[in-house]
Amino acid sequence: MVTDGVVVKVEDISAGYAKRPVLDKVSFHINKGEMVGLIGPNGAGKSTLLKTMRGFLPLRTGLVEINGRKVQEFTAHDFACQVGYLQQYVEITFGYTTKEIVLAGRYPHLKWWQKENANDWEIVRACMEYTGVWNLADKTMHAISGGQRQRVLLAKVLAQQTPILFLDEPTTGLDVFYQEEIFRLCQNMCQVGKTVMMVVHELALAARFCSRILLVGKGGIIANGTAEEVLTEKNLSRAYGVSVKVVKNPLTGNIEVFTVHADRDISKEQLLYRIAGVNTATNECQGGEQVV
Amino acid sequence: MKKMTGFFVLLAACFLIISLISLSWGQIDIPFKNILAMFCHELHLPFFADVLFTPEQQAVLYYIRMPRTFVGLLVGAGLGASGAVMQGIFSNPLADPGIIGVSSGASVGAVIAIALGFTEISMLYMPLFAFCGSLFAVTLTVLLAMRHGRIPVMTLLLSGVVVGMLLGALTSGILTMMNEQKMQQYLFWTIGGLDYRRWEHVLLAVGPICGGITIMLLMARHLNILVLGDVEAKAVGMKVMPFRLFLLTMASMITATGVCVSGNIGFVGLVVPHMMRMLVGPDHRRLLPASIIAGGTFLVFCDTIGRIILPPLEIRVGVMTAVIGTPYFLYLLRRTRNLSR
Repeated sequence: MVTDGVVVKVEDISAGYAKRPVLDKVSFHINKGEMVGLIGPNGAGKSTLLKTMRGFLPLRTGLVEINGRKVQEFTAHDFACQVGYLQQYVEITFGYTTKEIVLAGRYPHLKWWQKENANDWEIVRACMEYTGVWNLADKTMHAISGGQRQRVLLAKVLAQQTPILFLDEPTTGLDVFYQEEIFRLCQNMCQVGKTVMMVVHELALAARFCSRILLVGKGGIIANGTAEEVLTEKNLSRAYGVSVKVVKNPLTGNIEVFTVHADRDISKEQLLYRIAGVNTATNECQGGEQVV
Repeated sequence: MKKMTGFFVLLAACFLIISLISLSWGQIDIPFKNILAMFCHELHLPFFADVLFTPEQQAVLYYIRMPRTFVGLLVGAGLGASGAVMQGIFSNPLADPGIIGVSSGASVGAVIAIALGFTEISMLYMPLFAFCGSLFAVTLTVLLAMRHGRIPVMTLLLSGVVVGMLLGALTSGILTMMNEQKMQQYLFWTIGGLDYRRWEHVLLAVGPICGGITIMLLMARHLNILVLGDVEAKAVGMKVMPFRLFLLTMASMITATGVCVSGNIGFVGLVVPHMMRMLVGPDHRRLLPASIIAGGTFLVFCDTIGRIILPPLEIRVGVMTAVIGTPYFLYLLRRTRNLSR
C-alpha cells in the first residue's frame, strides 16, 4: 500500500448548520492511499463532515487542508481537480444517457470554450469499463437498476481523475453483492494511490475493506483506527446508543455486529394490537361481523 | 450520429418549406416560383429569370409577408431556445419562460403604456414598456428568492408564481379603470399576433434575440452540467450562481423581446423544447439548435394556419399555438407518462 504523507488534514473543525452545530472540535489526518470508512448512526454528522470538507457547507471554525492547501484558498475549479465527490442521492432530470453523465466528470478538465475530445471519451470509456457499465453506455439513467446507477455515478467521479475521492453512502440501497463490489473497486483504487473517504453503513464490509475507520457520534469522533480498534462493543454501544454485540465469525474471520434485544415491551405490543385491529382479549378481528 | 444529421436536415427542410409557404399563402396568393424569382432577381442570381411577377406581388411580399415571417421566425426561435434553457436551469420539464414572471411583467408594462396614452404617440412605447416591465418582474422574482447569496430552485419557481399573481392583479386593476377602446387595445396585444408586423419590429427583435441565442449556444455544454443540480455541478467545479443568473438573464431578455414585438405567445417555450428533447435527447448541444429551428418553424406554421383557416378572418397566432400545442402536448404526456424522460 502506498502511504506517504498527509493528503487531508482536519483540525479542530466544527461543522453543521447555522443554528445547530452537528460536530465540534473534530481533528484527524488521512494519508495518501488510505481507504477511510466513515461510520456512525443516522444524523451523527457523517455527511455533514464530508460536505464541510468538500466546501459545500461553511467551515465554522478550524482548518481543513487538502494537499497542504487550505480549502478556503481553492477556487471551485481547483477543488474539483483535487477532490471527487459522490453525493448521497443524485436526482437526474431528463433522459440523459449514462455516458453523458460520466462525461460530466470531465468538466473540470476543460476550458469553458472547449469541447470533449477523443482523449476525454477514452477516459470515460475506461472509467465505465472499470466499474462494469460500459455495456449500458447508451441507456438512459432511468432505464438502469440502482446498482448499475451507483456504478455509473462512481464512474463519473472517477472520470474527474482526482487524487482524492469523497463518497457519501455509495452503497446504500444496493444488494449485498453490489455493495461488496463497490468496496472492492474502491480498495483497488486505493492500491494505485488514490485516497478514498466514504460514508458507509455496512459495518462488516467496512471492517473488511477499509484500511481505517472513523466512528462519528455524540458530536465528534468517538474512535479512529483500524477495524479491530474501532469496532468494539464499547465504542459502538456509545455511538449508536444501544447495546451492541460484536462477534468475529470463526469461519470467515469477518466481524458481525448486532444489537442485544431489550426485554419484552408490553406497551408497544398493545399498540401493535391496536394497529393490527386485533382484540387483545379474544384475539379476534374487531368489526369482523360486518365483513361478509 | 448519422441519425442526428438526418434529423437536422429534415428539420431544416421543414423550416425552409414552411417559411416559403408562409410567404406564399394569404389573401393574395404568390406562387412559390414567383417568390423565388423575386429573391433571385434581388440577389442578381441567374435563376428563374423567365418567371414574371407583378409590382403588387413584390410590395405584398416585401412590406407585409416578409416582416411577418421574419418576426415569427425570430420570436419562435427565441421562445424555443429560452424554453429549453429555462427547463435546463430549473431541471424542471414544466418550466417555461413565463414561469419567472416575464410575461406578467410585460403585461403590466403594456397596460401602463396604454393607460397613460403613450401608444398613440408612437408604436415603440408599448414594446419599451413591456420590456421594462418584464425585466422588473424578473429582478423582483430573483431578489425575492435570494437568501444568503443562494437561489434555491424551488423558491425561485414559487416567487415567480407569486410575482406573476401580484402583477396579474395589478394589470387587472389598471384595466378596470380604462375605457373600452383602450381595453380592447390591451386585449389585442395580450393575445400575441404577427399581423401588421413591419420591418421596424424585425429590427427591434433581431439584435437581442440573435445575440441571446448565440450566447446560449456557446453555453450549451455548461447547461448540461447545470441540469444535474446544484451539488453535482459544484462537485465538478462549476460556479453555479453566476451561470444560472446569466442564463436566466439571457432567457428573460429574449422572451421579453419576443413579447415586445408580438405580444404574449404561450406554449412555444414549453412544447417545442419538450418535443425536441424526445427526438434528439437532453444534450443541450443538440437540444438548443433543434429547439431554435423547431420554435421558429412551429410559430410560423401556426401563424400560416391561422391565416388560411377562416379567410378573410385571421386567427391570432397566440390562439393557434395553444390550439395546436395543447393536444399534441397531451398526446406526448399520455405516451411517455414519465415527464422527466
